Amino acid sequence: MILIKNGLIHTMIGDIIENGSILISEGKIVEVSKQIKETDQMEIIDAQGRIVTPGLIDAHSHLGLWESAIGFEGADGNEAVDPITPHMRAIDAINPMDITFEEARNAGITSTATGPGSANIFGGTFIAIKTAKAKRVEELIIKDPVAMKCAFGENPKNCYNNKGKAPITRMAIAAMFRETILKAKEYKSKLEQANGDTSKEPKFDAKLHSLIPVINKEIPLKAHAHRADDMYTALRLAKELDLDITLDHSTEGHLIVDDLMKENAKCIVGPSFGHRSKFELKNLTFETPGILNRAGIKVAITTDAQVTPLHSLPLLAGLACKHGMDENEALKAITINAAEIIGISDRVGSIEKSKDADIVIWDGHPFATDTNVYKTIISGKIEYSN
Amino acid sequence: MKLFFNAKINTITNGIIEDGYVIIKKDKIFEVGDMGQFSIDTFEGDKYDLNGNYVLPGFIDAHCHLGLSESAIQFEGRDHNETTDPITPHMRAIDAINPDDITFTEALRAGVTTVATGPGSANVIGGTFAIIKTFGKRIDDMIVKDPVAMKCAFGENPKRVYSSKSKTPSTRMAIAAVMRETLSVAKQYLDKKEAAGDDNSKMPSYDAKCEALIPVLKKEIPIKAHAHRADDIFTALRIAKEFDLKITLDHVTEGHLIIDELIKENVPCIVGPSFGHRGKFELKEKSFLTPRALSDAGIDIAITTDSPVTPLDQLPLMAGLAYKEGMNKDKALEAITINPAKILEIDNLYGSIEKDKIADLVILNMHPFEIDSKVQQVIVMGNTVYQK
Repeated sequence: MILIKNGLIHTMIGDIIENGSILISEGKIVEVSKQIKETDQMEIIDAQGRIVTPGLIDAHSHLGLWESAIGFEGADGNEAVDPITPHMRAIDAINPMDITFEEARNAGITSTATGPGSANIFGGTFIAIKTAKAKRVEELIIKDPVAMKCAFGENPKNCYNNKGKAPITRMAIAAMFRETILKAKEYKSKLEQANGDTSKEPKFDAKLHSLIPVINKEIPLKAHAHRADDMYTALRLAKELDLDITLDHSTEGHLIVDDLMKENAKCIVGPSFGHRSKFELKNLTFETPGILNRAGIKVAITTDAQVTPLHSLPLLAGLACKHGMDENEALKAITINAAEIIGISDRVGSIEKSKDADIVIWDGHPFATDTNVYKTIISGKIEYSN
Repeated sequence: MKLFFNAKINTITNGIIEDGYVIIKKDKIFEVGDMGQFSIDTFEGDKYDLNGNYVLPGFIDAHCHLGLSESAIQFEGRDHNETTDPITPHMRAIDAINPDDITFTEALRAGVTTVATGPGSANVIGGTFAIIKTFGKRIDDMIVKDPVAMKCAFGENPKRVYSSKSKTPSTRMAIAAVMRETLSVAKQYLDKKEAAGDDNSKMPSYDAKCEALIPVLKKEIPIKAHAHRADDIFTALRIAKEFDLKITLDHVTEGHLIIDELIKENVPCIVGPSFGHRGKFELKEKSFLTPRALSDAGIDIAITTDSPVTPLDQLPLMAGLAYKEGMNKDKALEAITINPAKILEIDNLYGSIEKDKIADLVILNMHPFEIDSKVQQVIVMGNTVYQK
C-alpha cells in the first residue's frame, strides 16, 4: 500500500483537494480524502503541498510504431502499399523498449492510444496502453482494439498519387471507404446467416472481418481529418453507415464550431505546435482547442507523437492556455477528456476510488516550462522519481 | 558388428567414459561401455583401436539452409527464398536441395551429420523444413523427417524484401496481419474439408497453401519462427497462442533481454548465428552472451550456424565460442547434439551415444572446441564415410 499525503489533488472530477491524501493498493486507488490514517503497512509519499494529477493521457499517438533514432527498420506505422488495411493491429508493431516510453513516463504521460498513421484510408486498429517499464506490450494493454484508424484529405491522396493508384482524390477516399464498409456489412450478414454452418460461410476475409467491431459500434472510427470539408466527409460517412467516430486533428475545427456542436462531435485536437508543412494545415492555431472547449465540445489535446514529442504533452496544453483555453479545461484535455473520448475512462483519467493508480506528483504547475515531475506512479508502481 | 575401443567417449546423456568402447550393429549403436568391464578377445567382428581418441555423437544443426543456397554460385544455385509472394507455405525444402554442393562434404568432414534445412526468411511463411543427413547422393535417401517445421519470419527481412517491391508486408503490423489472415483462411479450409467428409460437392476447391498449413494447424509440426528482436519474438508467440500452434524460436538474438519471459513460455530456442558482423539493425544486440545467458537460466538451447550465414562446418566452433563467453562446456556440447535432437523431436534416435540410437559418430584427436582439433573419422548409419 502507498499513501500519498499533503497533495494539492486535481482529481479532475470535482474541486481541488488541498492537503489531500490518496491511498493506493494493488495498483488501484482505494481512497481519496483529506484524512487517511497512516499505518505501518503503508509506504508514505509526502507530497509537501505539490500538485497531484492523474497520469496524463494522449488520445492519439504512434508510440512504439515509429521508433526513436532509426529509419526504415523501426518504422512500422504505415502499411503504405495498400490503401485499405483495417486488418493491421498496432499491437504487432509496438516496441515497448523504445526510449520514447521512458521519456513519456518520466514526463508524467502514463497512457496513450497508439496506432497506425494516416497513409491509408483504413490503417488498422489503435490500442490503448500504459507507458510503464515493460519488455512485452501485452503487459501494457488497457484496451485492444480501441479504435479503427481512418484518414481523409491529403495524406492518402499524396501517398497513392505517387504510386499511380487509387485514391488520388477526395472523391476516391470517400468512395473506397463506403465500398469497404458496405462489403463488410454484407460479409457480416452472410456470416450471421450461415449460423455456424461452415459450408455456407463466406470465405474468410481478414479486412472485412476486422471491420465487424466497427460495424457493431464496439469501437469508433478514429478519423484523421484536418480541413473542415474533410471533417464533414468523415461525419457524413459515419452517419450514412451508422458508425461511431472521433475527429482526430480537427485543425479547422474552430471554423465550424456550430456544426461540431450539433453533431455532438468528439475532437482530439493537435498537434498545434510546429510548421504548417502542408496545405491542409493552413489554419493551424493553438486557439482551436480553447474555442471548441468554450463552445461545449469535448476536446482532447494530442502531441500526435512522434510528430511532436510525447513528453511535450503538458507543454502543448500549456500553449493552448496561452491562447485562451481555461487552465483546468486544458488539464482535462490531457486527462479525463482524453480517457472519455477514447473509451477508457473506467480505468484512467481521474483520481477516483477504484480507478488505476496512475498518478503524477509535480514540483510546480504541469504547464510551467520549468516544472519537473517529482514522481510518476503507474498502476500503483513508482515508475519515476526525481 | 563393429567394435571401436580405447576411446574417450562423450555420451552426452550419460557422462564421459574415459576409456571406453562402442559396438555398432548395422546402423545402430548396440553397446556402449567401459573397457574395464569388457574383453576384446571374445568379441567377434571388426575391431578398431581408436588409441585414446574422442568419440562424440554426430553434430546436429537445427536451423540452416544447406543445399538450398549453394556454394560459389549465385542466382542459379539460390533456391531458398521465393521472394515473389510473402506467403509460400507450399514450398518444400527437399525440392531445392542439391546434395552435390560442397558444403555437404565440408559439414560431414567436420562431424556435422544431421541438419534441419529449409527456406530463408524473406517470406512471412516460407515453406517446410526437412531433417536430412549430410551424407548421400539423392535427397530422397537422406531424409530423416519431412516436413519437420513450417518456416515463418518476423521483423526486418520480410519488411525489407516486400517494401522494396511496394507490396505488403512493409511493416511489422502487416507481417502479423498476413500471417493471421493466412492461418484463418487455412483454418476455415480445414473446417470445410472436415465438414464435407465424402461429399465432393461440399469440398472447398483445392488450395495448395491451405493444404500445406494443415499439419501446422493440427500441431503435427511447429512453426519455425525467425525472430531476432524481443518485440518480434513476442509477436511470434502472440500469434502461436492465438491459433494454438507449436512453435520454435529461431535466432533469438535479443533472448538475453527477456529471459524471464522465455522461461515462462517454455518454448524451444535455437540461438545464432552469434558470430559475425551486426549487419542490420535487428542484430544490434548480437553476441555470444545470448547462448550463455539462456543456458545459465536453465533453457536447453540449440546453437545454430544458420549456414550459409556462417559455415556449417564451423558448428563446433560456434559452440566453443559460446563456451569461451562463459557457457558451461557440457551444455555447449549439448547445444549441438542432444538439444537440437530434442527440439527437432528426433532424440529417440539422435543426439547422444546410447544403445539403439542411430550410429552417427565423430572421432576426433581432441575436444572439438580446441581450435586445432581434427576429425579423424566420421561414421553415419554405422558406416565410415570419412577417414582422415
